Amino acid sequence: MKKKFKMENLDCANCAAKMEAAIKKIPGVVDANMNFMTQKLTLEAEDARFEAVLAEAQKCCDRVDKGCRIVVE
Amino acid sequence: MTKKQKRTLFRIILAAVLLAALIVLDKLGVLEPLPWWGKLGCYLIPYLIIGLDILWEAVEHIFHGQVFDENFLMAVATVAAFGIGEYPEAVAVMLLYQVGELFQSCAVDKSRRSISALMDIVPEYANLETPEGLAETDPEEVPVGSVIVVKAGERIPLDGVVLEGESLIDTAALTGESVPRTARPGSELISGCVNGQGTLRVRTTKAYADATVTRILELVENASSRKARTENFITRFAKWYTPLVTVGAVLLAVLPPLCFGQDWGEWIRRACIFLVVSCPCALVISVPLGFFGGIGAASRKGILVKGSNYLEAAARLSALVFDKTGTLTRGEFKVSKVLPAAGSEAELLEMAALGESYSNHPIAASIREAWGKEPEPARIQAVQELGGQGVVAELDGKQLLLGSARLLREHGVSVTPSDEAGTLVYAAWGGEYRGLILIADGLKEGAAEAIRAVKAAGVEKTYMLSGDRREAAEAVGRTLGLDGVKAELLPQDKVSALEELLETRPAGRTLGYVGDGLNDAPVLGRADLGIAMGSLGSDAAIEAADLVIMDDDLRKLPTAIRIARKTLRIVRQNIAFALVVKFAILVLGALGLASMWLAVFGDVGVSVIAILNSMRTLRE
Repeated sequence: MKKKFKMENLDCANCAAKMEAAIKKIPGVVDANMNFMTQKLTLEAEDARFEAVLAEAQKCCDRVDKGCRIVVE
Repeated sequence: MTKKQKRTLFRIILAAVLLAALIVLDKLGVLEPLPWWGKLGCYLIPYLIIGLDILWEAVEHIFHGQVFDENFLMAVATVAAFGIGEYPEAVAVMLLYQVGELFQSCAVDKSRRSISALMDIVPEYANLETPEGLAETDPEEVPVGSVIVVKAGERIPLDGVVLEGESLIDTAALTGESVPRTARPGSELISGCVNGQGTLRVRTTKAYADATVTRILELVENASSRKARTENFITRFAKWYTPLVTVGAVLLAVLPPLCFGQDWGEWIRRACIFLVVSCPCALVISVPLGFFGGIGAASRKGILVKGSNYLEAAARLSALVFDKTGTLTRGEFKVSKVLPAAGSEAELLEMAALGESYSNHPIAASIREAWGKEPEPARIQAVQELGGQGVVAELDGKQLLLGSARLLREHGVSVTPSDEAGTLVYAAWGGEYRGLILIADGLKEGAAEAIRAVKAAGVEKTYMLSGDRREAAEAVGRTLGLDGVKAELLPQDKVSALEELLETRPAGRTLGYVGDGLNDAPVLGRADLGIAMGSLGSDAAIEAADLVIMDDDLRKLPTAIRIARKTLRIVRQNIAFALVVKFAILVLGALGLASMWLAVFGDVGVSVIAILNSMRTLRE
């Protein structure tokens, strides 16, 4: 499944790159792209683990920049 | 400004006022009677106001294993400055750092907003026709084949075909073209364009997820994830730069005092300067921002660039190869001469029109149009269309050949070749040569101007590939002043012809192919930069090309090259500027000639200047 999420308080380009690298390493992630300019995260992961991956991705973001949040509607 | 930015601004002002007051009091000697910790305490107040969050984040990040981040480096540098007794400097460094960060975040926000304004083509609702009347519906929920109503001035939410109504459509947001298009029953509508004064009833032909507007938005958004070589270089550079400078700082702080008995305070001060300039932010932000701006500026002109790497390729074009029909020429064919070898003109035209009655090739259409009657399907049988060659069929029981001289010869018919300029359709019936039809195709408006302009923009060679006859192709080549023409190519020959040309391009330069993207997808894919023209509404072309010119205007080509060159120039300026300033400060810092103030400029000042410079790419 591939989904796009808005990012909140993503305010440094270097952090975005670090988050992207960390999210890509989560097991179950096929591909991830953290776009600083459009403030969007495109996450492609196995359907079964998608929710878990998303939670893990949020943790990755916390580690890099605490205020940054993945907006899940 | 966001709430977070406003809060930062307030803290900056508060800390700045306190710091200024302290410096004044210090200079007047008011602080003299205080013990050292009293003075330190005074300076700690503005320091903590402005820097507490940074210190806190730095500590947190260390626990997360993120050692070399900006917060950490700033924290170490300022704490060290306190340690060596430079209290005002310590506060000022933190203060300026926050000012720079704030400015930087505002600048990035601003450019991001102006780019999203460019792409403000998202339709918000569709007026869906339901049994209960019109219902404002989310375009995502409108099924394919529904009937929607587009009122005057509304954005067209979904691709579709007009059922009723007449209007002028403003396509400027997608094509950059200011002349509106007419829409009447039967016309296809493209989502994202704006309806003029009329009301239109439209049957949708695509779901929102496949609509033109969605695809274009996705394309532009994803464009920045295809990184240019320059961007990858910066990422690699950033990975090494920060750790190296940090190690340099540690060595600088420790070695001279230990080995040569130098003063600890002085060398720690120099090491702090290293730490302050060790962030590669100026590059990490300004380079992608520059490319993003360039892509945004291009899309405002109706030029879609699918990635920063393609913008880079466009800036380095040394040769452009054009397809002829439909790209350089209008692709609207008209029969200009009928030259029978036997029988009358009308007979020859009728024969050809019947033979071409099943073909949807533009040449076939022009012959049918010239004949102007309804074909009788019974007379024509066993039609075989040979791509790039012509048609073989049976007319009234005898073999009919229509097409190139080569086709006729292959079937054993001898042909008197003509040297007329234009497309020639030779005809033979029952093994006997019957004459030829000359079809002319006018040059596109602005074609000659566009060729001159791309040369002026730095493209050295222009070539043309064509499936057409040598005479026809060379006539076009001469008129436009092209450097080379390859004619009589079958579709499959075009790729190898392009490959030959690819061999000739100088090292480090690129070759672009310009086509309509409909039947030249393999060639578009093979070129360094595949450019599709007039592709508004054509998914296949948008898919196959790297750079898409939405309307049919060849004069957009030089514009695209200019935008690409300007973007690359600005990006290079930023890289050079940031590197030179940072290295200069490193050297001066190591020699003891740079102050903390200069170091802060080397960090945030350079970032801000680079970001402002990057924002110039947005303007064209």
